[in-house]
Amino acid sequence: MTDGPLIVQSDKTLLLDIDHPLSTECRRSIAPFAELERSPEHIHTYRLTSLGLWNARAAGHDAEQVIDTLLKYSRYAVPHSILVDVAETMSRYGRLRLEADPVHGLVLITTDVAVLEEVIRAKKIAPLLGIRIDPETIAVHPSQRGHIKQSLLRLGWPAEDFAGYVDGQHHEIDLVQDGWKIRPYQELAAEGFWHGGSGVVVLPCGAGKTIVGAAAMAHAKATTLILVTNTIAARQWREELLQRTTLNEDEIGEYSGAKKEIRPVTIATYQVMTKKKNGAYAHLDLFDTHDWGLIIYDEVHLLPAPIFRFTADIQSRRRLGLTATLVREDGLEGEVFSLIGPKRYDVPWKEIEAQGYIAPAECIEVRVTLTENERLGYATAEPENRYRICATTRTKRNVVEELAKRHADDQLLVIGQYIDQLDELSEVLGVPLIKGDTPVKERERLFNLFRSGEIKCLVVSKVANFSIDLPDATVAIQVSGAFGSRQEEAQRLGRILRPKSDGRTARFYSVVSRDTIDQDFAQNRQRFLAEQGYSYKIIDADDVFEGKL
Amino acid sequence: METRSFTEYLRGLDDAAMLALFSLRPDLVSPVPPEFASLAVRASSAPSLARAVDSLNEWQFQVLEACAALNEPFAEKEITSLTDSSAKFVIPHLLNLALLYKSSDGYRLPNSLREVLGNEPAGLGPASMAKLSMKKLDDAPDSSKKVLQRLIWGPPRGSVGDIKNPGPGIAWLLQENFLVPLDQRTVILPRDVAIYLRGGKLHKNPQPNPPVVQGKKIDAALVDRAAIANIATMLRWCEEILNYWSEEPPSALRAGGLGVRDLKSAAEHLGVDENCAAFITELIFLGGLVVIDPDDRVLPTHAFDLWLTQSAELRWRNLASLWLITSRVSGLVGRADSKNIAALGPELDRVNAASTRKLTLEILAQNPLLTPEIESLLALIKWRAPSRRNPGLQSELVLWSLREAEWLGLTGQGALSKYGQAFIAAQDALGIQADLPKPVDHILIQSDNTAIAPGPLEIHVARVLDSIADIESRGGATVYRFSETSIRRGLDHGKTGEEIKDFLRKTSKTPMPQPLEYLITDVSKRHGRLRVGNTSSYIRCEDPSILTEILSDKKIEGLPIRRIAPEVLVCDMEATEAMAHLRAAGYMPAAESGSGVLLAGMKLNRAKARPRPPRIIGELEAPTDETLTAALRSIRAGERSSSKQSSLRQIASNALTALPRTTANETLEILHEFIKQQRTLSIGYADNNGAATHRIIDPLSISAGSLIARDHGTGELQTFRIPRITGVAAL
Repeated sequence: MTDGPLIVQSDKTLLLDIDHPLSTECRRSIAPFAELERSPEHIHTYRLTSLGLWNARAAGHDAEQVIDTLLKYSRYAVPHSILVDVAETMSRYGRLRLEADPVHGLVLITTDVAVLEEVIRAKKIAPLLGIRIDPETIAVHPSQRGHIKQSLLRLGWPAEDFAGYVDGQHHEIDLVQDGWKIRPYQELAAEGFWHGGSGVVVLPCGAGKTIVGAAAMAHAKATTLILVTNTIAARQWREELLQRTTLNEDEIGEYSGAKKEIRPVTIATYQVMTKKKNGAYAHLDLFDTHDWGLIIYDEVHLLPAPIFRFTADIQSRRRLGLTATLVREDGLEGEVFSLIGPKRYDVPWKEIEAQGYIAPAECIEVRVTLTENERLGYATAEPENRYRICATTRTKRNVVEELAKRHADDQLLVIGQYIDQLDELSEVLGVPLIKGDTPVKERERLFNLFRSGEIKCLVVSKVANFSIDLPDATVAIQVSGAFGSRQEEAQRLGRILRPKSDGRTARFYSVVSRDTIDQDFAQNRQRFLAEQGYSYKIIDADDVFEGKL
Repeated sequence: METRSFTEYLRGLDDAAMLALFSLRPDLVSPVPPEFASLAVRASSAPSLARAVDSLNEWQFQVLEACAALNEPFAEKEITSLTDSSAKFVIPHLLNLALLYKSSDGYRLPNSLREVLGNEPAGLGPASMAKLSMKKLDDAPDSSKKVLQRLIWGPPRGSVGDIKNPGPGIAWLLQENFLVPLDQRTVILPRDVAIYLRGGKLHKNPQPNPPVVQGKKIDAALVDRAAIANIATMLRWCEEILNYWSEEPPSALRAGGLGVRDLKSAAEHLGVDENCAAFITELIFLGGLVVIDPDDRVLPTHAFDLWLTQSAELRWRNLASLWLITSRVSGLVGRADSKNIAALGPELDRVNAASTRKLTLEILAQNPLLTPEIESLLALIKWRAPSRRNPGLQSELVLWSLREAEWLGLTGQGALSKYGQAFIAAQDALGIQADLPKPVDHILIQSDNTAIAPGPLEIHVARVLDSIADIESRGGATVYRFSETSIRRGLDHGKTGEEIKDFLRKTSKTPMPQPLEYLITDVSKRHGRLRVGNTSSYIRCEDPSILTEILSDKKIEGLPIRRIAPEVLVCDMEATEAMAHLRAAGYMPAAESGSGVLLAGMKLNRAKARPRPPRIIGELEAPTDETLTAALRSIRAGERSSSKQSSLRQIASNALTALPRTTANETLEILHEFIKQQRTLSIGYADNNGAATHRIIDPLSISAGSLIARDHGTGELQTFRIPRITGVAAL
C-alpha cells in the first residue's frame, strides 16, 4: 500500500484525490488513456474505457505504460482483473489496419488471420468489403472507410487507420498574434488534435474554442469548412478569424439562409445544411464542392443526424469537433467519437478558471414559494402542463424584477424557455427581447448595443443558448429551461464566463419554484455543472428582497 | 496359486514395509482386515489396485506397464531393458505400493493388476503363440511395412475388409504369423513383434523426468500487492452478495441450486462474470453463510452476522481452507456441456477436484514468484498425476484451480503470494490483517451530491451510509450518491432529517454542500406528511363535542378508539360490534357504507361461499329406448371380450398345473442336452416374488449360472437365472 493520489475501483473508474501533492502529475499521466467523467471539488472521477485505451494506443502509449502508471499512483493495490483487462483491450488495437494500397485502393490488413476471419463474417461488416486479396488482406470500398471503422469499433477490433488524410487544397492561413497570445491549453488542444488527425476538443464555454479552431486551421493551411449552429455564430466566427488570422474578408464566405458564398474558408450553418428541398438535402453537396482540407464542427453536441451520415462518408478529410459539453440528450456521444474522432483534449472547467482564462462564477438557486392560489392551480393541472405552470409563475416575475434592480449596474441576461413569460418579463423590465422570430439583423443590432453597454439588460429565449459571444455579460438569470437538459444549463452559464476586465465574479441565478417539479428539473440540470465543481448556493426569494445576496 | 504366493510375500514383509504400504494405500486398513489372506485379497482387488495405480506419476506408470508387458516371473534387467536404466529407482516404490512383488523366482504382479491396466498395456497385443523369426521383418514387402507402421504404437488391432481375402501386405504378415487373425474382420499385432519393431523399448516417449514449468518471473512485491487486492476484493464480494440476497433473496430451482437468471443478476450486482459469481456463491455456501431455506429461498444465515464481526484474516482463512478441501467444483456451472448444473445445486461434486487443487498449489509453491505458462503447468500435472479415468476434466480442473486461487488471493498475478505460502504451511499468522488497507471512518462529500469514502469504511459508518445513499462505484474506495429516493429510504429506516445531517457533518471531512442540506431538509419535510394505517371502523360526527363525550364515557371505556381528527375517531372493532357497544351506552349511531351512503335497511347476513345445493337422490327416471339399446349393445360387447379372456385364462391355468418339476442337477443336465439338440422346452421360472410362471423357450447357451434362451412369449433373447428355474420338460 502506497500513499498515492489515485484509487482504482473495480468498476474501472479512477478516483483522483486532487488535494494530494501528486495529483497534477498523476492527472497528466492518466489523461492520455482515461476519460474525465466528473470533476467536483475534491475527488475527480476518470473512467477506463476501451475507446480511451485504444486512443492511447493510437497515440503511442502501450499497455505496460498504462499499467505502470496505475500501479505507480494507486493508493491501494490495483485489482488484477483491471490490469488484465487493460492489457487485453489494448492488445486488440492494431491487429487490423486500414491502409492505402497502390493497386487495390483502401485495404484492411491484419496481423492475425483469425481476427480477420472473425470480422469478415460479421453481418454489418461483410457488405462493406471487396475482394479478398490474400489471407491477410481484403479490399474495402473507399467510401465505406467511416462505416467500417465504426463497425469494427463496435465489434471490439478497432482498426488502426494508416490510410491518411487528403491534404485538401492548400491555402495559407496563419495566426496573427498581435496584442494577444494563444493560451497554452489552446495550443495543446490544437496540437493534440493535429497529431491525432481528427477528433473532438472539449473546452469550457468562454475558454476560446474559436482560437483552437483557428490554430487548427493554421496547422492545416488548407481550405476549411466550418459548420456552426446559427447565423449569429457564423458571423462571430468570421469576426474572430479576421481578427486572429491572416485571412481577409474575401477569403471567408458565409453559407447560410441569407448568403450562399463558397470561399477558401466557408462558414455554414447546420440549419442550411439540413434544409430539405423536395425531400432531399439540397446543400449537403457543399461537402463535395470543394477539396476541403479541414472540416470544423462547432458545438458538436448539437450535430444533426443528416450531418452524422455525411461525416461517415468523408473520413479521408480531417475533422475537428468543438464543444463545451459533450452530453447529448439523445445518447449519441459514441457516434460523435467514432465519426468525428475521439476526444483529443479535455480539461476540467475549474482548472481553466484557476488559470484565470474563464471568469469565476457563483451559481445561486433562488427558491420562490408559490402563493396559495398558484399552488392550487399547480396541484390540479394536467401533468403535461405542470412544468409550464410552476416554471412561469407570477412570483418568479417579482423575484426577477428585484434581482434586476439589484444588478442594475451589471450587464444582465434573463434567459428562459417560455415565450409568454419572456414577453411579460421584457415588458416589466422595460428591456428588449430576443427570440426565435427576431430577424438576424435585429438580433445583431441588439447584441452590439449590449456589447457596447448601451443596453444593460436583455431578455433572451433559447436561441441564445449557444455560441453567442457577450464578453461583458456578468449576470444571468434563468427563469425556466428545457426539461432537465444538463448541457443547456452549462451553456447558459457559459454566456457569462468570458473573463471580465476587472476580474469580477460572474453570477448565475436560477429561479426555481419550491416543492414543484421545477425543483426536480433544476436539480437534474445542475448535475453537469455540479460535476464540474460548481457548487450551487440555495437562497430563498425573501433573502433577495431583504438584500441578503 | 498366485494369490497364495502374494499372501506369503505380504506375510514376509517387515513392520516398516507394512507401515509404508498402509500409509501409501490407506484403503487397505479401512476397515482393518482380519488376517493376511484377506489383506492380500483386498490388496489385489481391482478397486484398490486402481486407486494405487492412480497415485503413480507418468514414469512410474510407464515402468508398471513394462512389467505388465513381461511374462511372469521377470527380473529387474528385463524391466530396465524395456524402459530405461533409471527404472530401477522406480521399482522400490512399486514394491512399497505392492503393485509388484518378489516371489522366489523373480518379480510378479498381483492378480488383477493386468485387468486394471487394461488388456492392451502400452498398446501391446497378446504374446505370439507361434515361433517367430524377427529377421524376416526387415525383408517385409513395403505394403506390409505400411500396415505395421499403423499398428506399431497401438492400438494393436486393425480391421480388414475380409480376412479370407486380405490385401497383399496383410496376407504376407498373416502368413508369417506377424499378424494374427482375431475374427472375421480384425487382425492383431502380437506383443513380441511390436516390441521388436519398437526397438526393444516399450514407449515412444519414455518420461523418466518431470517436465519443467515455464513462466514469467515476477517481483515478490507485485505478487503480494496483487494478492492482497484480490483478498480484499473477494471478501467484499462475499459480503456484498450476501447483503444483496438479504434484501432480494432469490428462489432455488426445484432441482436444487441457483437459477441462471439469479446467478446472472448476482454477477451483475458484483460487476463480475458469471463464473466468478458462481465461485463466490459456492464459497459462501461452503462457509455456511448462505443456505437454501425450506421455502426454497436462498438466504444468508446467522453465521453471516457473526462472520461480519470476524477479522478479515480469519474470514479469509476459513473460506480458503474450505475451498481447498471441497469436492465441489464451481467451474462446472454454466459450462456448455453441463447445462443443468447449477451453483448451490447437488451435482457439483467431482472426485479429483480437491487433489488437483492441492497438486496445483503444490506446484505453484515449488516454483516461487513464477507466473506459470498454462501449457507447461498442465504438462507437469499430467506427468505428476496422469488422470486416466476422466482425463477430460483434469486440465479444466487445473485451470479452474488457478483461476479460483487468483480470485481468492492465494496467488497474485498467477504466482503464489506470501499469504498463500503461509496458508499452505498452515502458519498461525498470515499477515493479511496488517497488509489490508486500514479502514477509514470518514467520507468526502462533494457538491454534485456524491460522497466518497477513500478506503474501506468502518462497518458502522458503512451501514448508515448504505441506508441513506446509493452506491455508485465500488472498489478500494466507495462512491455514494445521495438522491431523493436514497434519503427517503433513510427516513423510512427511522432516521430523522436532523440525524442524517448530523451524521454526515460528523463523518465528512469536507463541509456539507448546501444543496445536499436542502435536499435532506426538503425530503424530510415531505416525508411522513401523509399517514397511512389500518383500522376496522370509524366513528364520525359533525359535532366534535359528542366525540369528546364518547372518548370520556366510562361506559364504553373498553372500546379501542382513537381520535385522529376533531370529527373522526377510528375504532379497532367491526362496525356492527362498535355500533352495538355505542347503542348499549345510549348513543344512536347509524351505519354507513365505505362510500358514505347511509345504510338504513336491516343488515342481513349472507354467506360468502357459492351456493352448493345437495345432490338429489330420488326415483329413477324411465329410460328412453335409445339408452336401453345402447346399454344392451355395450353389455353384449363386454360379454364377448370377457369370454375370450376367460378361455385364455383357462389355457394358462392348465399350463400352470402342468409346470414341469425337476431337481437342480436334472435341470442342468436336461438343459445341456436340449441345447445340443436345439429343441424347444417348457420351463417353470420363479419371478422376484417367488411366483412360478410358465415359459416356452429355445435354449441357446449356458454361462455363469445363467441360461440364455429365446422366450416364445416375448420373442426376445432373455437371460434366465438357473437357480430360479423350477423345472424343465420337453415339449
